[in-house]
Amino acid sequence: MNFDWVGLAILLVFVFLLLLFAALGRRWPASFRRLPAYEALGAAIERAVEAGERVHVSLGTGSVIGPESAPAMAGLVVLSKVAAATVMSDRPAVATTADGAMAVLAQDTLRTAHARVGAADRYQPTAGRMLGATPYSYAAGLPVVLATEGVSVHILTGSFGAEGALAADFGERRHAFVIAGSDDVHAQALLHATADNPLIGEEVFAGGAYLNAGVFHGASLRAQDVIRVLVILAILAGTLLRTLGIGL
Amino acid sequence: MKLGAWIVWTAVAMAFGGVVLAGYFVQWQTLLELRLLFMRWAILLSATALLLGILNLLAAHLHKVNLQESGWPYSALLIVILLGTLVLGLVFGPDNRVVLSLFEYIQLPVEATLMALLAVSLAAAGVRMVMRRRDIYSLIFIGTALLVLLGTAPWPLGGTGLSATFGWLRNWLAQVWAAGAARGIVLGVALGAVTTGLRVLLGADRPYGD
Repeated sequence: MNFDWVGLAILLVFVFLLLLFAALGRRWPASFRRLPAYEALGAAIERAVEAGERVHVSLGTGSVIGPESAPAMAGLVVLSKVAAATVMSDRPAVATTADGAMAVLAQDTLRTAHARVGAADRYQPTAGRMLGATPYSYAAGLPVVLATEGVSVHILTGSFGAEGALAADFGERRHAFVIAGSDDVHAQALLHATADNPLIGEEVFAGGAYLNAGVFHGASLRAQDVIRVLVILAILAGTLLRTLGIGL
Repeated sequence: MKLGAWIVWTAVAMAFGGVVLAGYFVQWQTLLELRLLFMRWAILLSATALLLGILNLLAAHLHKVNLQESGWPYSALLIVILLGTLVLGLVFGPDNRVVLSLFEYIQLPVEATLMALLAVSLAAAGVRMVMRRRDIYSLIFIGTALLVLLGTAPWPLGGTGLSATFGWLRNWLAQVWAAGAARGIVLGVALGAVTTGLRVLLGADRPYGD
């Protein structure tokens, strides 16, 4: 039996930091830097609820199996908070995805959000749906959803490729409030141009912390910051050692 | 009863996720085989979920047609084409010429059209960004995009000194500044992905509901 000690140690440090910051979360509240996109999102959702308009959450075009599931999992947290805020409105939130399994998870998230506020009878299984099985067929289905559902807040939080730019642009053309993030670097560049409120880098994973989804979300950001500093120090140390001709 | 249910789902997610994760760090034959088995189950479940997703899509559009909501003719068209493709696939098999033609002459051109539309959308979005967000970041973004375009696009008179300069500038921007920034972004994304996965494994996030 062989162990990858380095990988295992990093993972254990991550878990330790996550649990530590979660335990300290209430006594030592975190203060995060301003993210205008998330700050504006709350007001946009309130406006949509008051105007009887719909909030749409897109969980991206990635599948549940694979690394691209992570931003969609973070998106499900955002969906949960958005669903809770809109559940008693005339038009509760809808969620779309390009993956069948992710659509099932979106339905579960919406159902749970409805049940938590005692409105299980208002839940519609079609509120969480798969629009198309491929990235571009998903993008092709979006304009109809945005138009027929009366969407005024368009949240893109998941794994997108180039089709994410089209998805954001469809929302902008309807003058909706568009907030968009992806795990793909190229898609992030495109979303920076097409969406009014782009999420850059790991901001797509920070939705839960900024929307107060629980102590573990704040703890995640703190643990990430500690590990990031350690990685930067390791890179600097490696660069210095290499410059001095010391091989590792 | 309800409390018991979510504890069971969480325990199942933690156990299966833990075994799959451990398989990456511990090279033990039994664990590796178990990980492979779980991954195969996950693929099977994902395929079943795709079927559920399609049925859900069908239900959503049938609902629209039934209520004759706005845009219902598009929903009706989707249902007809979806069922037609399904019947053709079941009768002739997925490798049949007719079924392949549906993808080759309908789906692929539509997707290619959307890709072409992306270029137009991006140009319009660039103009819109300059109009709406007049800050330093937008100016840097647009300026860099223009420099990269000038360094990539063919020039009318071929390889003049100016095109070579822009070509060099493009490479410098892409290979030094953009690549460095992209590595930083990828690092942040990777850290975010790890914590998101750990939250699910620790049962703090329960995307499967309560």
